[in-house]
Amino acid sequence: MATGGGTGGGLGDAYKHHAQLGVCESRAKYREGRRPRAVKVYTINLESRYLLIQGVPALGVMKELVEQFALYGAIEEYHALDEYPAEQFTEVYLIKFQKLQCARVAKKKMDERSFFGSLLHVCYAPEFETVQETREKLQDRRKYIAKATNQRDCFVLKKVEGPEKTVSKNSDCPWSIPRSCVTGNWDPSCCTSSHRVSQNTGCPSGNHNRSLLTFPQYGNNCAETSGYFGQSTSLTLNVQPGRCPPPAPLTQQRTVPVDNGVDRFMPRTTHLQERKRKREEGNKFSLIGTSVDNTEVIIGPQLPELPKVDMDDDSLNTSATLIRNKLKEVADSVSRTSVEKLETSSAKPPVKQRRRI
Amino acid sequence: MELGRLEYLQALVTEFQVTDSPEAKEQVLANLANFAYDPKNYEYLRQLQVLDLFLDTLTEDSETLVEFAIGGLCNLCLDKTNKDYILEANGVEPIINCLSSSNEETVMSAVTTLMYLTTPQSRQQTTALPVVECMLRFSLSASRRLRNLATVFLEDYCTPLQVEEARNPSKHTAVGIPLPKD
Repeated sequence: MATGGGTGGGLGDAYKHHAQLGVCESRAKYREGRRPRAVKVYTINLESRYLLIQGVPALGVMKELVEQFALYGAIEEYHALDEYPAEQFTEVYLIKFQKLQCARVAKKKMDERSFFGSLLHVCYAPEFETVQETREKLQDRRKYIAKATNQRDCFVLKKVEGPEKTVSKNSDCPWSIPRSCVTGNWDPSCCTSSHRVSQNTGCPSGNHNRSLLTFPQYGNNCAETSGYFGQSTSLTLNVQPGRCPPPAPLTQQRTVPVDNGVDRFMPRTTHLQERKRKREEGNKFSLIGTSVDNTEVIIGPQLPELPKVDMDDDSLNTSATLIRNKLKEVADSVSRTSVEKLETSSAKPPVKQRRRI
Repeated sequence: MELGRLEYLQALVTEFQVTDSPEAKEQVLANLANFAYDPKNYEYLRQLQVLDLFLDTLTEDSETLVEFAIGGLCNLCLDKTNKDYILEANGVEPIINCLSSSNEETVMSAVTTLMYLTTPQSRQQTTALPVVECMLRFSLSASRRLRNLATVFLEDYCTPLQVEEARNPSKHTAVGIPLPKD
């Protein structure tokens, strides 16, 4: 067992727990994996939504680091661990994902990856979990197995809904529940206690929890993987049996609002496209002249109408109008793109500056 | 592919049984325990009696082997069939013995396994007094992981009465017995 004081992050047992084990050199041929690995058994206890990232060069690249990790799923919290022992000129960061599955993928993809010229060491950091987070993690594993093996072995946990660890310290009320409810293959009919109402009774869920947690950009990553694992690590939210719970309580409870992260990592191209779209819409309304034709956008003061040339033939006249309109369109788009180019180029310098810092 | 998996697992089990190298034994056992994480393998692992292999290994001298074996049990014991099998085979007792290991991972796996093995029928065994006493001690551990896990065990799997009894060991052994005079 570990030594050292466990205040805050429980750094006491971090040293041993996170020391990278030596690679196993003596594996039989048929047991060799694609990558050299140490001999280690992973259990749910070792996994976590918290990832510890060691070996980050001390170059002020936190933003870039978090951006990299956000590719694998929504990040709930991140910060540097200044007090954590680190190699010279490197820093240690802690990143908390919203879902265990995303942390899993991120660890797999980012461990031993080169980052600004240094190799990252990524490991799970369950010692940063609260009691409630540990409880939820264990409960999610239970649900996942029940689902994967098609067993309705729902062990309903008390206090799943309480997001804070302080909730769990009460000693009087939960015990009015008949014990058989709490353990094993309980019979739902026996659970009539009122404080159970808001709990996730019955179904091994995960699906509808997921829907409220996926975000536009990262949804794909999560969906792809958790489709297989079907785990949802975020039961804290007061998820009612209803299908579409509002996402608001989630963001309120967290120390770092999730929206922030998402906003921040919205791809620049999307930003630009969005801006362009809005501008075009605005143009349409403000600059539409006297023309009734909606597709025709006229820029600038209206010139006196060109004298219409009569070709003495209906069909020829139609063609002439078509050609005229086409010419107008082309001329319009040319002038518009030049305006855009100006705007985008004026928008770019700040980005480059940010990179250099 | 699926056939290949069974054959592969069979090869691992065979190597575990025939090898004289303690190193190879550890590696193979770790492999098997990691395979036990994925429910897709449960059928094969049962077929190959890997559950017995894990249970038998709990009584080995090697701390590493015990750590991997209890890790394997922790990984597969949530499955109903596996759970019933372990309970039938009197697996709870050797698992409880793991609580006194000096290896933290072994202890962590044992606590989680006991939680997952708890059913109305097995409750008496998995939350026996010595176990609750143990959890009380763990809930004061310097290791936050162990502390959290033990707290969950006490709060979610034991009644307040059980916890109270474990807190005051003198009470339960001598209830109602009058003190000798003089």
